[in-house]
Amino acid sequence: MTEQLAWLIPVLPLIGFLINGLGYKKNPKGLVGLVGCATVLGSFILSILVFFDIKANGAKTIDLYEWISVGTLKIPFSFLIDQLTSIMLLIITGVGFLIHVYSTGYMHDDEGYGKYFAYLNLFVFFMLLLVLGSNYVIMFIGWEGVGLCSYLLIGFWFKKTEYANAAKKAFVMNRIGDLGFLIGIFMLFSTFGSISYADIFPQAQTASTAVLTTITLLLFVGAMGKSAQLPLYTWLPDAMAGPTPVSALIHAATMVTAGIYMIARSNILYVLSPISMAVVAGIGLATAIFAAVIALTQNDIKKVLAYSTVSQLGYMFLGLGVGAFTGAFFHVMTHAFFKALLFLGAGSVIHAMGGEQDMRQMGGLKKHLPITWFTMLMGTLAIAGIPPFSGFFSKDEILAHAFEVSPTIWAIGVGGALLTAFYMFRMFFLTFNGKFRGTEEQHHHLHESPASMTIPLIVLAVLSVFGGFVGVPEALHGSHLLNEYLSPVFGQSTQILNAAHHGHLSHETEYALMGASVLGVLISIFYAYTVYVRKEVVPAAETAPRSGLEKASYNKFYIDEIYNAVFTRPLDSLSQLFYRILDKSIIDGVVNGFGQLTQWSADKFRRIQTGYIGNYLFMMVVGIILILVFNFLF
Amino acid sequence: MSSIIIIAITAIVVLYLGLYKVKSALLPVSVLGLLGAAASLVCVWDKNISYFNDMLVFNNYAIAFSILLIATTILIFLLSGNYFEKISSNVAEYYTILLFALSGGVVMVSFQNMSMLFIGIEILSVSMYIMAGIKKTDSASNEAALKYFLMGSFATGILLFGIALIYGATGSFNLVQIAGKASEQPLLFYAGVIFMLIAMTFKVGVAPFHFWTPDVYQGAPTLVSSFMSTVVKTAGFAAFLRLFGSAFTSVPAIWTVTLVVMVVLTLLIGNITAAFQQNVKRMLAYSSISHAGYMLIAILLLGQASPNAILIYSVAYSIASVASFGVMVAVKEQKGSDDLSAFNGLGRTNPVLAFVMTVALCSLGGIPLTAGFFGKFYIFGVAIAANYTWLIAIAVLMAAVGIYYYFKVIIAMYLRESENSESIQLSLAYKFVLIFCIMITILLGIAPALITNIL
Amino acid sequence: MENITNAITLVPLNHYILLSSIIFFIGIIGVLTRRNAIIVFMSIELMLNAVNLLLTAFSAYRGDAAGQVFVFFIMAVAAAEVAVGLAIIVMIYRNNNSIDIDLLNKLKN
Repeated sequence: MTEQLAWLIPVLPLIGFLINGLGYKKNPKGLVGLVGCATVLGSFILSILVFFDIKANGAKTIDLYEWISVGTLKIPFSFLIDQLTSIMLLIITGVGFLIHVYSTGYMHDDEGYGKYFAYLNLFVFFMLLLVLGSNYVIMFIGWEGVGLCSYLLIGFWFKKTEYANAAKKAFVMNRIGDLGFLIGIFMLFSTFGSISYADIFPQAQTASTAVLTTITLLLFVGAMGKSAQLPLYTWLPDAMAGPTPVSALIHAATMVTAGIYMIARSNILYVLSPISMAVVAGIGLATAIFAAVIALTQNDIKKVLAYSTVSQLGYMFLGLGVGAFTGAFFHVMTHAFFKALLFLGAGSVIHAMGGEQDMRQMGGLKKHLPITWFTMLMGTLAIAGIPPFSGFFSKDEILAHAFEVSPTIWAIGVGGALLTAFYMFRMFFLTFNGKFRGTEEQHHHLHESPASMTIPLIVLAVLSVFGGFVGVPEALHGSHLLNEYLSPVFGQSTQILNAAHHGHLSHETEYALMGASVLGVLISIFYAYTVYVRKEVVPAAETAPRSGLEKASYNKFYIDEIYNAVFTRPLDSLSQLFYRILDKSIIDGVVNGFGQLTQWSADKFRRIQTGYIGNYLFMMVVGIILILVFNFLF
Repeated sequence: MSSIIIIAITAIVVLYLGLYKVKSALLPVSVLGLLGAAASLVCVWDKNISYFNDMLVFNNYAIAFSILLIATTILIFLLSGNYFEKISSNVAEYYTILLFALSGGVVMVSFQNMSMLFIGIEILSVSMYIMAGIKKTDSASNEAALKYFLMGSFATGILLFGIALIYGATGSFNLVQIAGKASEQPLLFYAGVIFMLIAMTFKVGVAPFHFWTPDVYQGAPTLVSSFMSTVVKTAGFAAFLRLFGSAFTSVPAIWTVTLVVMVVLTLLIGNITAAFQQNVKRMLAYSSISHAGYMLIAILLLGQASPNAILIYSVAYSIASVASFGVMVAVKEQKGSDDLSAFNGLGRTNPVLAFVMTVALCSLGGIPLTAGFFGKFYIFGVAIAANYTWLIAIAVLMAAVGIYYYFKVIIAMYLRESENSESIQLSLAYKFVLIFCIMITILLGIAPALITNIL
Repeated sequence: MENITNAITLVPLNHYILLSSIIFFIGIIGVLTRRNAIIVFMSIELMLNAVNLLLTAFSAYRGDAAGQVFVFFIMAVAAAEVAVGLAIIVMIYRNNNSIDIDLLNKLKN
């Protein structure tokens, strides 16, 4: 069955793209929405069928046709559908379908409705191609394609110059990443003589560690760009300029996890290179903390979610780096649920607020948007890692593996989790609790979103709550279904890792670790509650001096001052420091500096082009003399 | 051989048609003649016929490139519809001179003897000197013509000096015999090879001998520039490869380092300068320099895969160039300018034109699922086989810069507003050419196997 | 014919190579230093004639007529080039009243 129908999975969204793309002026809105959603739904249903087929019969390779063959280089256009792919298919088409449905409501009044759905369908097509391909070249094509769609959708609403900077930044950073990826692919080819997974992975152990380290690091550079890791992450917060459903689908649930997918796919190569594993874990951990600290002081609701995405992606890389491949992938899945939910919820809030994204203008939205409030609460609990919500299980698994490698990494990771709980609840309380702080007109306008938007929220909320049960750890007397299912993909790597170090955690240790992190998270949430609900602190406006916090703290407990001095203020200033100095000056500075260097050299190159024939002839003769001298005197 | 004769006769017939003022017959007759020439080439596929004591040899390499040249010319002719009438009253001469130039190009890709190489290059070049200056009263066109002419004849002098030295060293003009006697008088031979290398790199516009390219492309009428950047460049590279691949293979040591430096320089200068051009025509001129850099990699690392790599790259590049120049002509006709700002809002006013331009630029930039991706892919494949990973790193980085400036046009078309919202009316032939180019570009991007195993 | 070939071979081949190289480089120097388009063009012709001399000498020494035939090719093609080149120069003179190559520098950067 799979063999005959699998090719339809990517083709359906492509058909949707063609219908909506060719007729984006003429097609009526109803038809556009229907085509957009139905094609993705079709792919989703097929993905479910494929999932059960794979579950019963194991991985399959589907050869479509001989794509390129020259000399020794043979690249078939073929799909590899294994356990990893089948789950990615479900995530992409499932979450993708919900977001398409949501978009029919969210984008309903937009003049570019048809174009929007065409781009969205095209994105789904490329994303499916990325996970379905049986070799690195097809993956690269999907990789470039999703980048293109992301680029188009970031700029969907922007007709002015500010877009140019965001887009340019996204572009430069992704290019640096792609460069690494492409060279990595070329090196794979020259090392193994093939670029198909099926040929490379079995002979991975024959290559030398140095070569594997180079290849894996190059691939990781690609992943850093696409999955927004330090230092190539600043494009992601800027990408929030696009419509919110796009942020949910592309910049949270699917495209940015492509880097994780790529490394998970190449797991055997990484396992054989301890240095690369360490680099992946290190960068992941650093990004997780760094982005979480920045998120503490952001006031734009989407920016908070964007930095939170960067931070969660960091956790996933941490998981990959410490060998928790299933855990990392588990987190990809749960993160897709709750982060899509949070973004869509934020979209619902923004929709109700008439486009306002500043949380200082919100507050008290609970009674106006009950469904959004409740579903977002579920999402926030899930990302904060409260049991038994989905985020708890996946994050716990990553952290437990981290502890096996080093308790320090675990401690830092838990620290990040506390920050996560704090900033997420800060966002949640600022938005839904307290008094409404917006204008009278906005207040009048407040309304719950239409059913097309709330139903996807509810479905995602259910997934965020229960999605974690596919991976209940053994310590909690669960059977880790996901682990079992994915074992053919990661089995060999896990064996190699277990042979290297074998400190399996006892159940008691696991309980202690879980207890510690959950307790910390609860304290963190409680602190957010005291600050933002009990004391109703509102972040100061950009211009006002930052005295609001201090003033509030004088009135209440004495302990607040100690808190302030020990935690809040240092964290606050650290957050500002990271945001302003590192994010805005250094990293942007490097990117801009690269641009200026090119500009400078372009200017010099243009200077040579003087327009005088005499000069041209002279330079030609100089060139000839140099060549002759070089060839005959040396 | 019959194809060269057919092209030349067609040119003369067209000239007579012009004399008798049968303007409407010019285009059909030229296209028919070209189709006939292409058909005569298809008939001799795999036959390997040689003419005049092996002066011309029509092997599959020659036939494939000749058909590419002829097809590109047909596309440009179809685009020219009423373009030529607007810039001068002597329309017949355009067709005639371009046809003669094409016959020179066919000689260049099928030569087996240095004298034919020289004659082919000269027929092509002299025709192009005239075409560059065809707008007699336009100062830019005048300047382009003089620059092209003086620098071109200078390069011809160098080419001939190289040929003379090689003749002195080997006593023959025939490529096969030259290869056999390469070691008789090494010093003369090496000097000859270097001089020929310089002349050939000049003809294809490789740095540091690229200076004429941007100025001439900008000054010449746009469709003539498109002819130069496609037919002339393809013929130049095909001849370059034929020469080096058959006559000088025994002495790669003396030109490898020189060519490596040239490749790097060309990629840097072409791409980086293009990135900061505000005029799209000039940007395409610089980008054509950079494409020469990529193609040069295949000659630098001469091997089994080189002819195929150059052929694929030329096909992808020629088709995408014709489409992008075609869109540019249409835009310039309406807006009176080919600056970047003239493309603002094209996505809204002319979705078809904008789409064609987007696909063409994606192909030039080497985005996957277009023919251009495979062009680059095969070239890089050649470099991989020769273990030149660092060169690929530079080439890929420069390809990224390339995508950056191609995207500037795409951004202008889709994300900026234009002042006037009139759409541009296009003739049927024009639409046909644009859509045809795009379809081929995408088709080859999906199924490159159609052309990858020809040679 | 026989006599001429013999006469040519009376002078050592290296002398021919040296002489034509010198003429060739005089041509290059002329191209570089002169600003009048016609004189630049004449210098290029000088380069071509250096090549002709070289080819003839080689041809005589090798006893192979191909080199001399090639010289005829060069002469014929050069004549065509002269026709086109002079036409271009005349066209420029009509528009600018000058054939100084430095006046033409509108196309740049």
